[in-house]
Amino acid sequence: MKEKNLNQNLKKLNEIVDWFESQEEIDVEIALKKVKEATEILKEAKKRLKKAENEFEEIKKEVDFE
Amino acid sequence: MKEKSESYIKEILSTRVFSVSAYLDLLNTLLQACKTKVVGEISELKRAQSGHVYFSLKDKKDGSVLNCVIWNSVYNLCGVEMKEGLEIIASGEPDIYKPRGEIKFKVASVQLKGEGELKKQYDKLKQKLEYLFVEEKKRLIPQFPCKIGIITSKQGAVINDFLNNLGCYGFEIKMVDSRVEGEEALKDLLLSLKTLKKQKLDVLVIMRGGGSLESFLAFNNEVLVRELARFPVPTIVAVGHDKDVPLLALAADKTVSTPTAAANLLNQSWQRLEWEIKEKEASVFSFLSSFFDKFKLLEYKVKEGLLRVIEGEINDLKTRIERFQSVVLSNDPKRNLALGYSIARKSGRIIRSIKNIDVGDMIDLEVSDGIIKSKVNERKKSKSKS
Repeated sequence: MKEKNLNQNLKKLNEIVDWFESQEEIDVEIALKKVKEATEILKEAKKRLKKAENEFEEIKKEVDFE
Repeated sequence: MKEKSESYIKEILSTRVFSVSAYLDLLNTLLQACKTKVVGEISELKRAQSGHVYFSLKDKKDGSVLNCVIWNSVYNLCGVEMKEGLEIIASGEPDIYKPRGEIKFKVASVQLKGEGELKKQYDKLKQKLEYLFVEEKKRLIPQFPCKIGIITSKQGAVINDFLNNLGCYGFEIKMVDSRVEGEEALKDLLLSLKTLKKQKLDVLVIMRGGGSLESFLAFNNEVLVRELARFPVPTIVAVGHDKDVPLLALAADKTVSTPTAAANLLNQSWQRLEWEIKEKEASVFSFLSSFFDKFKLLEYKVKEGLLRVIEGEINDLKTRIERFQSVVLSNDPKRNLALGYSIARKSGRIIRSIKNIDVGDMIDLEVSDGIIKSKVNERKKSKSKS
């Protein structure tokens, strides 16, 4: 999967979640596909989030140090 | 003491025979003690080729006559234009001119008798020297003067008043002690100007305290006024005045009334500088402190504001991602596999109905921990559904 930025990923996740929440009956086959896609995006998003958190901690340390 | 010397002279006079010359010498020595001021009317005025002025002073009451001489050099300084009939006060001492045996009053200084005459002389000289007093001739007192030439009397409060009021700005004072009153004042003042003319100065100050009108005479002398006007650096005169401003004060580049005012004038540019420096110092300080305030505010904003915002954003993001995850997880069909459900597929496609398969077909049953490869033996329609 081509790496997308966090915002695009979040948008995509939002769409998937919206889809799940709007279905009265969930088609298993589509659901599986969506879950698979969402899982990959989530993994990517979490990775980005972790990176952002780390960067933020670094900055905070630097600011406090000064 | 006096009696002793008198008796000594008497003894010499009574016991010795003098030559004419020695006797005249003795008389001249004794006459030196008769130094005084004599008032009278000028008559038989003659000026010799040498420039010396010979005249007689006549007593107005009984016509008595005193022969007088003013040497050329003294006359040039005396500031009085001699005329027959003019009443003057001559200061000097008697002297016998040995080659002729004549007694003459040697005049050291002359002043006019009576305020009216003095005033007339003052006005006349003032008019004559007017061109020296014009505003265009005035030089500016230099900014930040250092080397100050002073002409005043060491005695009296003047110099102390001046020095006490002079600020500590590293002034270099060159002072010449000069009499500023009496007959010797003029000569002293001229000599002092001559001395200080050779010095490297930024400004010259001539000072004296108050005094009688008569004592201002030296300050109205033409030669002195001209010397001051010619002085190489700007001049300040602080001599005060009675009715008429002394001509010397008019010729100065700056005139003030007291020594204190003269000191203040010299302080002025330094004080201004001192004040400006203090002001600049304060403004630099306030600039820096406002800069630091701004910096602190910025730092606070970065720490407390910006970082908090970012932290909030990250937390929001985290929450959103967690929510997404939980929604996705809860909707994941595979979650049901753990509960005992399975997903049946034929050639990768989910089997939704018995119509999708035939007996003998190979199908995959996905359960929680793997896939069961199965063969369809029989198709049986549910009872509950049609």
